Amino acid sequence: MRHLASYILTRFLLAIPMVFIMLTIVFVVLRVMPGDPVNAMLGGHAPQKVIDKKKEELGLNKPIAAQYVDYLGKLARFDLGDSMIFKQKVSQPIIEKLPATIELTLFGLLVSLGLGIPLGASAARRRRSGGDFGIRLYANVVYCIPVFWMGLLLQLIFGIFLGWFPISGRTSPRLEVSSFSKTGFYIIDTLRIGNIGAFGDVMWHLVLPAFTLGIVLSGIFVRLTRANMLDVLKSDYILAARARGIPERRVVYNHGLRNALIPIVTMLGLQFSLLLAGAILTESTFSWPGMGRLLLERIYLRDYPTIQGVIVVYTLVVSAMSLLVDLLYAAIDPRVKY
Amino acid sequence: MKRISALFLVLGFALSVSSVWAQSTLVYGTTDKVTDMDPASAYDFHTWEIFQNVSSGLMAYTPGTTNLVPALATGYTINAAGDEYTFKLRKGVKFSNGTPFTASVVKWNIDRVAKLNGDPAALVTQYVKSVDVVDDYTVKFVLTGPLSYLPALVATPTYFPMDPSVYPVDKIAKDVGELTGGEIVALGPYRLTSFKRDEEAIFEANPNYWGKEPGIKKIIIRYFADATTMRLALEKGEIDLAFKSMNPSDVNDLMKSGKFNAVKIPGPQIRYLCFETSESVFTNKALRQAVAALINRPEINQKVYLGQNAPLYSMIPMGMSYHTDDFKTAWGDGNVAAAEKILKGLGYTKDKPFTFDLWYTPSHYGDPEVNMAEVLKAQLEKTPLVRTTIKSAEWATYKQQFNNKQMPAYFLGWYPDYIDPDDYTSPFAQTEGSKGNGIFFSSKVWDDLFIQEQQTTKDAVRNSTFAKMQKMWTDEVMTAPIYQGNLYVFSKKNVSGVKIGPTLIFNYDQLKLAK
Repeated sequence: MRHLASYILTRFLLAIPMVFIMLTIVFVVLRVMPGDPVNAMLGGHAPQKVIDKKKEELGLNKPIAAQYVDYLGKLARFDLGDSMIFKQKVSQPIIEKLPATIELTLFGLLVSLGLGIPLGASAARRRRSGGDFGIRLYANVVYCIPVFWMGLLLQLIFGIFLGWFPISGRTSPRLEVSSFSKTGFYIIDTLRIGNIGAFGDVMWHLVLPAFTLGIVLSGIFVRLTRANMLDVLKSDYILAARARGIPERRVVYNHGLRNALIPIVTMLGLQFSLLLAGAILTESTFSWPGMGRLLLERIYLRDYPTIQGVIVVYTLVVSAMSLLVDLLYAAIDPRVKY
Repeated sequence: MKRISALFLVLGFALSVSSVWAQSTLVYGTTDKVTDMDPASAYDFHTWEIFQNVSSGLMAYTPGTTNLVPALATGYTINAAGDEYTFKLRKGVKFSNGTPFTASVVKWNIDRVAKLNGDPAALVTQYVKSVDVVDDYTVKFVLTGPLSYLPALVATPTYFPMDPSVYPVDKIAKDVGELTGGEIVALGPYRLTSFKRDEEAIFEANPNYWGKEPGIKKIIIRYFADATTMRLALEKGEIDLAFKSMNPSDVNDLMKSGKFNAVKIPGPQIRYLCFETSESVFTNKALRQAVAALINRPEINQKVYLGQNAPLYSMIPMGMSYHTDDFKTAWGDGNVAAAEKILKGLGYTKDKPFTFDLWYTPSHYGDPEVNMAEVLKAQLEKTPLVRTTIKSAEWATYKQQFNNKQMPAYFLGWYPDYIDPDDYTSPFAQTEGSKGNGIFFSSKVWDDLFIQEQQTTKDAVRNSTFAKMQKMWTDEVMTAPIYQGNLYVFSKKNVSGVKIGPTLIFNYDQLKLAK
């Protein structure tokens, strides 16, 4: 247990330089790009003296190095600063939007695993059959499809032609979010107050965005599961299991799949950052009010502190996910100990 | 399988119950955004629209018109010099929390705006020297000089009185949550009872409103990321009304469907081509004239906007006092002969054409912007004496580039700060304003003309000054007007009372929802 605590602490400390490097890159890139928040915000209406005053107020007239030191000073006090466009703390929109992104990415992850692992295992079981060929084709095709295009396709088919699912937002326009929203995780919030109608509405809105993200990423899990399963199915213990007359289905899914999962779990950690990147485009396609949409909007507005804040949070989430995956190894593989 | 079917039945029932419950409420969709919930800082149309519904001004526009009428004031008088306005206030008016409205509240709010110096503060500080409380129901504005359009200025939310016990005196409220009591307390027909940025805003009728009770008790605004999604929500019946901003193709489709009420608003928005007049190739006004002659406005309107806007021949929009069609008289549309005559006179030939970069910004003014650039390029190149290269930059970069004189010709658009011809002309042709739009035009003659129209309250003087300016504009061509934008509101057939005039003020209290 002591070893585990020390491992977690080490990983946590390693995340600090990672955040620092990411932040430095973002900080410099934003400031060397043409355009600044004051120009984006005030348009042509404000007199020059107002523009100059605003720049001074926001510290944009200081050298980049001085701005950087100021920012790091705030960050060291866990203060992400104030938005340069809206008069609010950067942490405020992040706290508001993060639950939406987490809900979307978690369900996207569930869909990608729910599709990828069974399909990969099934393809391995029927190696070189028509089914195997079809599943591999599916994996290659979905992996190549850009996530926004998949989103548009699903919107068109299931939202517009068939009209089965809503195509935008987290809830129906007529549902008053303020009547149940507390944590920002609408699934939890609606269940907490026992509002089944609202819960159904929230789940209904989650279907297309989650499938958009999930389908695209399921391709890699199909290929990975299939490749690992093929290796595992050649192992001696699988041969022994078959020799003992254990039904093939049990051999494949109970004995084979669990052992094939370790590299998949590794990939899960790596794929999470891709999932977050995909969420940015998915959120835009589905008007999903999450961190991705916030990031895109604030990039257009050159709202430096909010962009930096979102990147810090993304980096921390990816680090946390990666740590979680490492800890999962121990649960899956008894040989791994911390 | 049975369990799944049962679950679907329960969900379906619950969803239908919530739909029935929501029938008494109007849901309004928009792609706009709210900035700061503080009149000392907000400086954009949608946030102003919210303030216009939760609060009131001393003066207000009759819904759907440009007629200014007393609102919280019962009337005003002007001194002989034209630099002091005295407003008499309505008695017995109360804020939504019951606090009485008096002259000291008016003073407190205007002093606060000036002191905090937020984005719209110049609307006060440029014109108002002090606000004096004469008695509980009389307030005097002492101005920096004679001014004709103070009544229009006091109709802007920057001048709106809010409850002093709610807004912090020494800082801009960052969000509704920072207000004492967590709610805007003002004098409008509605209270903003809930606000979730980028998701929803909920308005409920203000029981203490001094005017007529609103037609609909509850209004929900839903915020959409894009126009197409909003259109689909309207078609699916998820929203009752959609406003700002639809794509031209969506407007056409919705019009043709005949399933919705459509209201066309002669918008106050104008679009025009700007020239950098101090250092670029367009320092020579003859070149600006040649470009102005080549623009074919009806063609741009037809090809890019499917005929939904109106060709514009002056910077002062149609429907506003003093508007004239001088560009039509002077240059017409697609006048290749006139342009060639100018260009040949300057020594340009087919082998040595006049070349320049034409800039647009791809998302700030909507998707059709690139099409407008392409159509204009084709129009300009109808003569072999002109060759243009289209370039683009995102808004933040674009703005910086025109401020730094890096773009010789570029598209801009204008929504007015206040409804007066001055706001459509001085920001482009008066020395100080012109800099802010990257034009850098400066002329004593023009500056004097502006001082003349700004300081007089005599209609005849303003009329002749603006008539003269519009004629002179066709010679200087610091900007070339292109079109005046129309806006469209689409609503379900059971929604009525949409009255939005050229001021773009949308009074929710006029709306009605039939069963």
